[in-house]
Amino acid sequence: MEQHGGACVEAVALTRRFGPNTALDRLTLTIEPGETFGLLGANGAGKTTFIRLITGYLIPTEGSVTVDGFSPVTHPAQVHERLGYVAETTRLYPDLRVERFLRFAGEVHGLAGKGLDEAVERSIERFSLASVSSRLVGNLSKGFQQRVSLAQAFLHDPALLIVDEPTSGLDPLQQAEVDEVLAGLRGERTVILCTHDLAEARALASRVAVLRQGRLVAAGPASEVLGGSDPLALFRAPAAAA
Amino acid sequence: MRPLLSLVRKELTVLFGSPVAYVTLTAIALVTALLFFDHLRIYNQILFVYTSNVTGGFEGGTVPAHVNLQDQVFMPLMQQLAITLIGLIPLITMRVFSEERARGTDEFLLTSLLTPNQIVLGKFVATFLFVALMLAVSFVYPAAAVLRAGLGAQHLLAVYVGLLVLGLGLASIGLVCSAFTTSQLVAAVSAYAVAFALYDLGWLNPFVGNRAAETLSLLSLQPRFSGFAEGLLSLADAVYFAGLIAVGFVLARLSLDLVRVR
Repeated sequence: MEQHGGACVEAVALTRRFGPNTALDRLTLTIEPGETFGLLGANGAGKTTFIRLITGYLIPTEGSVTVDGFSPVTHPAQVHERLGYVAETTRLYPDLRVERFLRFAGEVHGLAGKGLDEAVERSIERFSLASVSSRLVGNLSKGFQQRVSLAQAFLHDPALLIVDEPTSGLDPLQQAEVDEVLAGLRGERTVILCTHDLAEARALASRVAVLRQGRLVAAGPASEVLGGSDPLALFRAPAAAA
Repeated sequence: MRPLLSLVRKELTVLFGSPVAYVTLTAIALVTALLFFDHLRIYNQILFVYTSNVTGGFEGGTVPAHVNLQDQVFMPLMQQLAITLIGLIPLITMRVFSEERARGTDEFLLTSLLTPNQIVLGKFVATFLFVALMLAVSFVYPAAAVLRAGLGAQHLLAVYVGLLVLGLGLASIGLVCSAFTTSQLVAAVSAYAVAFALYDLGWLNPFVGNRAAETLSLLSLQPRFSGFAEGLLSLADAVYFAGLIAVGFVLARLSLDLVRVR
């Protein structure tokens, strides 16, 4: 597989409001090429909003975010060709067979002909999907569906991989498999790992950021940010922490 | 272009992966056959009455001019086929956008190389292809009626162009209703409501003035389709249906933008 230095993600005063609620509040953050970056926070902290702003699925209320200098609002094609995205819950087409779905995912990411055949074959092999490649996605176990979700994100060899709660709902064996795949990507491409599993973040991420109520409360090397006696304090709202 | 074609293929695969496609195709074939034979039966009975009881024999020229295959079988069949399309097309369109949104797969599409315009276009094209297939399935009996009535291929063509543009217009209405909700049920019910209301806006005439009634008549689906059913290819009618499809496209496209800025 082609080696990537990865993509650089830069957010400047990034803000997103939903009506009166501020989901993300003036977030400024830089994710370096090739690093595995852990994005942590409790439910509703703003992690998924941040990810959706990077992918261009949402438009910022204020501020900006860029991938390799391209804004997903003004240059979506340049961002999307660099992007592989594994959403929080497996967002797949249950009526498609696994191989058909992977071919579709490759085609809508610009792959065609022999390149598409090879990419699908490679993904099926990498994520051990050969035994289920002709089955309907909807009939697969959650673990296999998560593998299919990861496989589609890798197809076009993206420079930036965003994985939102990749091990949520998986059994320990399946979690270990997914973590192994993600660990193998270090340095190869930029990975944004969105999780609330601290152990997973410690094991996989070189740097982490913690969001709370839409605000950045800590950022730095995983060992420093999560190394204190009570790292969970970062997750708690100020009143609760007190 | 390739991602767009891939999306069209995916839409058709998903559609034929569910029983709705087969139920719809079977329903239109059955309804067309039942209506055709029912009208033919009534036509034969009328013909029998005129030729045996009233005039006392099967002599040429004894049957009134309006008792013919065109007026007794073909025209009513076409009008009822148009109503049948209103009944069936929302079943096809209800899931197209709403299901993507409910499952979250719209996010998958919007983070691919497909542009929002291509996403809407791909879904419209796939739905239009299915509507064309529905009409192809219903083609046999009307074709037999036309050929037997000696109306000729041009009339048949005009009627089927009319049915096609009506079907595409109804599909556009259904797709817009699907684009603004995550519930397939809401999408279907709202599509039925809009399609039936728009089919003949004459029901509003008692509540409005003459001028407004004329305008409403211009906006109704049924009068526009009737021209085609009578074998008349009118540019104004074609522009009306093209406009309906264009408005549907713009509204469906708008729904994708609303998700991003909501």
